[in-house]
Amino acid sequence: MPRWTLAAALALVPASPVAAQEMRDFTTSRQLHGESRLDTRLEFAAGSLRLHAGNAKELYRMRLSYDAERFVPLSRFDPAAGSARLGVESNGRSGIRVSSRSQLRQDATVTLSPEVTLALDIELGAVEADIDLGGLRLADLRLETGASRTLIRFSRPNTTRCGSAVIESGAAEVALVGLGNSRCQRISFSGGVGTATVDLGGTWTSDATLDLSMTMGELTLRLPKSVGIRVVMDKFLSSFPSAGFVRDGDTYSTPGYARAARKVEIQLSSTIGGVAVEWMP
Amino acid sequence: MPTRKLARALSSLVLSSLVFLTPSTSVAAPSGGGGISAAAEAARGLWEKIQQLRGEGDTTRARNSARPQLIEAAGPDGPILDLSNLSDPIAIEEQLARLAALPDDDVRATIAGGGSARLGAFSIGSEQRISGNILIMKGNAEVFGHLAGNLVTYDGDIIVHPGAVISGDVLAVHGLVREQGGEIGGEIQTLSASARTARAAPPPLSSTQLTLRRLAGVVGVFLALAALGYGLAAFGRNNLQVVSDTVSHSFGRAFVTGLVGQILILPTFGMLVVGLVLSVAGILLLPFAVVVYALLVIVGVVGGYLAVAHAMGEAYTRKRLAQGVLLGSPSSYGFLFSGLAATMALWAAWATFGWVPLAGDLIRGAAILVTWLLGTAGLGAAMLSRAGVRENFAGRIIPPEALTDEYLWATPQYGVPAAKRPGASTRTGPGV
Repeated sequence: MPRWTLAAALALVPASPVAAQEMRDFTTSRQLHGESRLDTRLEFAAGSLRLHAGNAKELYRMRLSYDAERFVPLSRFDPAAGSARLGVESNGRSGIRVSSRSQLRQDATVTLSPEVTLALDIELGAVEADIDLGGLRLADLRLETGASRTLIRFSRPNTTRCGSAVIESGAAEVALVGLGNSRCQRISFSGGVGTATVDLGGTWTSDATLDLSMTMGELTLRLPKSVGIRVVMDKFLSSFPSAGFVRDGDTYSTPGYARAARKVEIQLSSTIGGVAVEWMP
Repeated sequence: MPTRKLARALSSLVLSSLVFLTPSTSVAAPSGGGGISAAAEAARGLWEKIQQLRGEGDTTRARNSARPQLIEAAGPDGPILDLSNLSDPIAIEEQLARLAALPDDDVRATIAGGGSARLGAFSIGSEQRISGNILIMKGNAEVFGHLAGNLVTYDGDIIVHPGAVISGDVLAVHGLVREQGGEIGGEIQTLSASARTARAAPPPLSSTQLTLRRLAGVVGVFLALAALGYGLAAFGRNNLQVVSDTVSHSFGRAFVTGLVGQILILPTFGMLVVGLVLSVAGILLLPFAVVVYALLVIVGVVGGYLAVAHAMGEAYTRKRLAQGVLLGSPSSYGFLFSGLAATMALWAAWATFGWVPLAGDLIRGAAILVTWLLGTAGLGAAMLSRAGVRENFAGRIIPPEALTDEYLWATPQYGVPAAKRPGASTRTGPGV
């Protein structure tokens, strides 16, 4: 075949079709006008999410870049109830589509006022999330995540006492960092499949109870030596390293637990997998 | 050329900076702090100009800026815009986009609840108090005074100056909300116009392009299968021939087996996974087992299909030889090539005539059906022959050790087989 014929044939054959993907930018915010409490529900199905404390004069702000083919932005505020719903919701026109890394990704940055008492309810799908709750007035936290990589951290102490933090994950990689700063009396983490890291660093101002459950996967505990820790272990086909603990049956306590100024009790359930312990100075 | 363009851009920048430094007469200026405000405005203007020159500014707003005028109320059948609830900015954008598509002089809209709508730049002076919802299209809305209601702009920014008070929500569709110190009681929302498109959808293909593309696909599949077949013939010829013979001699049995195999693929996989999960040690093998199972299925289907092609090519070659046609030295490579060409013939026909209405669909349906039949038979033959190890269904009824000419010369003695006759091991031939 002559070269020009081949070239002409190649020129006639187009590249494989790729569906267009339209990304749009949306921002929403609300100035602070004397509100003292905000019940916030954040729904984000796919993409990248950042959440942190924001401007003291703003109740909340969300900057969003979203896939207009599949989602619509979500911004609802109910002044009577003092509640807000933020994030994205499906537009109902497209089915489930698995995104590859080469495609454009949704991106959201949410900031919340450090001046108001927050009850935070977060529902995440296939999301890579960096949630820094440090510096906020967090009274209650509930987080549910699907197939995600989620980092929840308290980089600074919570400025109010937190009743409970409940975190549930499916097939996910979850890290809870600086729980000592959370000031939560009860922390519950339930993991399905994947890996989880629970870091008890930070400043503990009171005793606390943690319920940790991991069905299949590895759970890493980062424990500070300055706090008395007792682990009540419930394991099946799982291992727990006892180094650094005094063992009494299924209970593992740090030396001097009874005399410790701050005590953290961990109810730990691990079904298939392992538990690793890292000691922090 | 670029130098001239840059010079023009710089001169534009200087002129615009002069314009921004000149106090505006169309906007009511706030009382006090004029010097600082003017400097801030000048800086902002410069920044926006730089953004426009860099191509990052919102050029849509500049292009669509309209002569300031009131939008008259529409007739009874005209559009009625409800700006009292801005919680669905997408829906509002759709309504406003229809209005924006009209010539400026033809735009008519009624704002529900007694609000007002305007085209072009608009401002609320520091001494002004306005009640009701306001829509501004193709221009910026600058607020110095008080607005008791919602404010929406389309193709324009909302600028809230210090001292301004807006009791309701604000929404800038295809614009920005610039909070410069005023108070906004409600929600502050912006929706961009810029649609970042990853890759444009290609135009529809012509029939020639479609045919060429499909033909390229068929040739590609043919070459890929031929390469796999040649590898199989080179390194696993005996297995290939046994599977091929199984197809030839037990086609019906192979097809039924393949059908049953297809039905059982998923249940077997499920049983494998459950079995491994339930066993303590097996769960560690689960990832490997899943991969191996998938590979086995793929090898079974592809290898079986190649064996069918081999059988077809062999049958065709033997027929030609029987007719006395000289075909060179027949081999598994030749059988595979001719067989694959035959199996691809229907797909080539579809690639060539697939654009023909109805006929194209019929050819494609036939190609799919035939491919499935051959693949099923091939999978079944591979299963029956245990991937070419077992010859029970390959038509090789006489064992290989029986295929000897010993019976021509070895005369049985008293019913004792020749092989067991004393001194038989030393005999190597009739002459010995």
